[in-house]
Amino acid sequence: MPGGVQVSCLKSHSKVSGGGFKPRKLHSRGVKVPRNFRLLEELEEGQKGVGDGTVSWGLEDDEDMTLTRWTGMIIGPPRTIYENRIYSLKIECGPKYPEAPPFVRFVTKINMNGVNSSNGVVDPRAISVLAKWQNSYSIKVVLQELRRLMMSKENMKLPQPPEGQCYSN
Amino acid sequence: MAENGESSGPPRPSRGPAAAQGPASAQAEPKIIKVTVKTPKEKEEFAVPENSSVQQFKEAISKRFKSQTDQLVLIFAGKILKDQDTLIQHGIHDGLTVHLVIKSQNRPQGQSTQPGNAAGTNTTTASTPRSNSTPISTNSNPFGLGSLGGLAGLSSLGLSSTNFSELQNQMQQQLLSSPEMMIQIMENPFVQSMLSNPDLMRQLIMANPQMQQLIQRNPEISHLLNNPDIMRQTLEIARNPAMMQEMMRNQDLALSNLESIPGGYNALRRMYTDIQEPMLNAAQEQFGGNPFASTGSSSSSGEGTQPSRTENRDPLPNPWAPPPATQSSTTTGTTTSSGSGSGSSSSSATGNTMAAANYVASIFSTPGMQSLLQQITENPQLIQNMLSAPYMRSMMQSLSQNPDLAAQMMLNSPVFTANPQLQEQMRPQLPAFLQQMQNPDTLSAMSNPRAMQALMQIQQGLQTLATEAPGLIPSFTPGVGVGVLGTAIGPVGPVTPIGPIGPIVPFTPIGPIGPIGPTGPAGPPGSTGSGGTPGPTMSSSAPSETTSPTSESGPNQQFIQQMVQALAGANPPQLPNPEVRFQQQLEQLNAMGFLNREANLQALIATGGDINAAIERLLGSQPS
Repeated sequence: MPGGVQVSCLKSHSKVSGGGFKPRKLHSRGVKVPRNFRLLEELEEGQKGVGDGTVSWGLEDDEDMTLTRWTGMIIGPPRTIYENRIYSLKIECGPKYPEAPPFVRFVTKINMNGVNSSNGVVDPRAISVLAKWQNSYSIKVVLQELRRLMMSKENMKLPQPPEGQCYSN
Repeated sequence: MAENGESSGPPRPSRGPAAAQGPASAQAEPKIIKVTVKTPKEKEEFAVPENSSVQQFKEAISKRFKSQTDQLVLIFAGKILKDQDTLIQHGIHDGLTVHLVIKSQNRPQGQSTQPGNAAGTNTTTASTPRSNSTPISTNSNPFGLGSLGGLAGLSSLGLSSTNFSELQNQMQQQLLSSPEMMIQIMENPFVQSMLSNPDLMRQLIMANPQMQQLIQRNPEISHLLNNPDIMRQTLEIARNPAMMQEMMRNQDLALSNLESIPGGYNALRRMYTDIQEPMLNAAQEQFGGNPFASTGSSSSSGEGTQPSRTENRDPLPNPWAPPPATQSSTTTGTTTSSGSGSGSSSSSATGNTMAAANYVASIFSTPGMQSLLQQITENPQLIQNMLSAPYMRSMMQSLSQNPDLAAQMMLNSPVFTANPQLQEQMRPQLPAFLQQMQNPDTLSAMSNPRAMQALMQIQQGLQTLATEAPGLIPSFTPGVGVGVLGTAIGPVGPVTPIGPIGPIVPFTPIGPIGPIGPTGPAGPPGSTGSGGTPGPTMSSSAPSETTSPTSESGPNQQFIQQMVQALAGANPPQLPNPEVRFQQQLEQLNAMGFLNREANLQALIATGGDINAAIERLLGSQPS
């Protein structure tokens, strides 16, 4: 499945100018950062463990020069049915990233609104950060949002498949 | 930027770590790197050789975090680190952070966290959903989940379907969930009076063929039914809603206690599968199936959360919750069999009798009944179905024995409530009418589809006649028309622990011989030809009836009489003699040793040819 070319409801701003070394103002609006730079930053963040330690992400393959395929991990939030579980995800950042949202898919089986129960694909229309993606968002934001959704009333009690099961594809 | 001039691996586009640098020792020796291990709660730094395995790393961690190594789960860059991997393999270099999750029995330390993300929602930790999730997930206990699952199953059944039976379920659930409604129902005097007649209840219960099967398999049930004391007590309880609740609650408690003793669950399960389930099936097959079938098999995904609201009131599945029959969908056939639902007893006899009572009362209180009745009347086949049910007969019998009851029931009929004049008309004719109803010929005529069709034809003819030649049938009134068949079938109408009889009431305008003229009100009381009623085939009875009620004589009366006689003469009884019909059964009874042919016949007629039930009746009537 082509990654990252999911729902891309964004109007495309001016194209990223090639080669320009933009200052590190990744999180201010209007600044277009080259994709690879962005992804490198995210990689670093993932390795350093930025955040509270409940989500983690990194390159799926360290040799991947295109920085497209990522793996993510979400630790199930406490006091929910997801507690004590570790959910593994696959994230694909397409060529238009970060202008376009990444394509996210659960590897570990999960029962949650917005996640396709047969293949684990996260429906970008159902997850707000994917539906209203902004280029300041990142993989971390996506993972943290999914984790937050696990704690929502509608999800926190959904019965889950046995631990450790993965989707077949 | 080449801080770590490591020869390790391909030129990964990783920037140097910002943390403290490890000493750049000779490449031959393993470098000690500092790795941060972070849990949601804490953070520790570890100095480990670069080439150590994950396993070794975990050992170091377990000492610091005071856990077992197998409780530790390490995550780096979105991947779980397996024991046999090495740190290098995952690209864990100096200064990087690895996430740790400690799995423990209760709550792992790694997870007792707040969501530290930008969205910053408040962790509304509801302990109740947690505790509810457990019962939901344990599907294996039909009783524990029983009440919840049953009702929830009902709701999920009824949610999106237009199927009549499922809508019934939905209504059933709504009914059950409204205590006020239940109370109202129970206080309905008709309900009370019906409940006070143990024989009646018993007949109802026995009339259900599945119930009979059940009784065969479990003789205790038949003992229960046959014991008048128990029945009376049950009915007493059923009449008193508060007491009923108490009983149910106690029963529920007892059941849950029973569950907790070792082996108790099995006993319960056995009890359930042996007794309750067939009964449920019997009672509810027309309601869309056993609600517990779904709870057992499915994984109650989100359906079970109907907590304590209804639990106490219905600890056990209540198969007798009345089908309100408010939906005028076409599967009116179900209403016929729905009547058969009204009778079973079990260990929770109370529940069932209460349910039977509910059955009765709800029929009255639902305004939607009218539309249903209409539908039913449009389809005479249904009426025939309904009438042929044995319980009808038993009901009628008991009614005839208790004219007061009949009067009361009739008064309750929605048709008559709007028209007190009719009531007045009906009342005096009740006894005679009941007598007639008692006549097996009447019953068989009513159950004969051809007879009913004939009646309809007659009515149509009369209507045509009335419009074409009003002079011939002056001053025939709808009231009379109603009165005609009304007396015939009216009192039977409201009766119903078996709803379907209700429809007969509107049948009245279809009344046969009825001076069914659409003309003005008043006029001769239902008398004229009242008796004639249900049977042009009832040659014998008809003329007698016509004489009973008095009316302004004159041309009307005579006309009717003539008509009746003509009809009677033209249509000889189309039904075989009951004796002939039950020939086979009679022979069987004879062979079994029931030598009283008359009694046998009566019993067979009362039970509609059901040998087993007839035997029960015979045994019950013999002096013991």
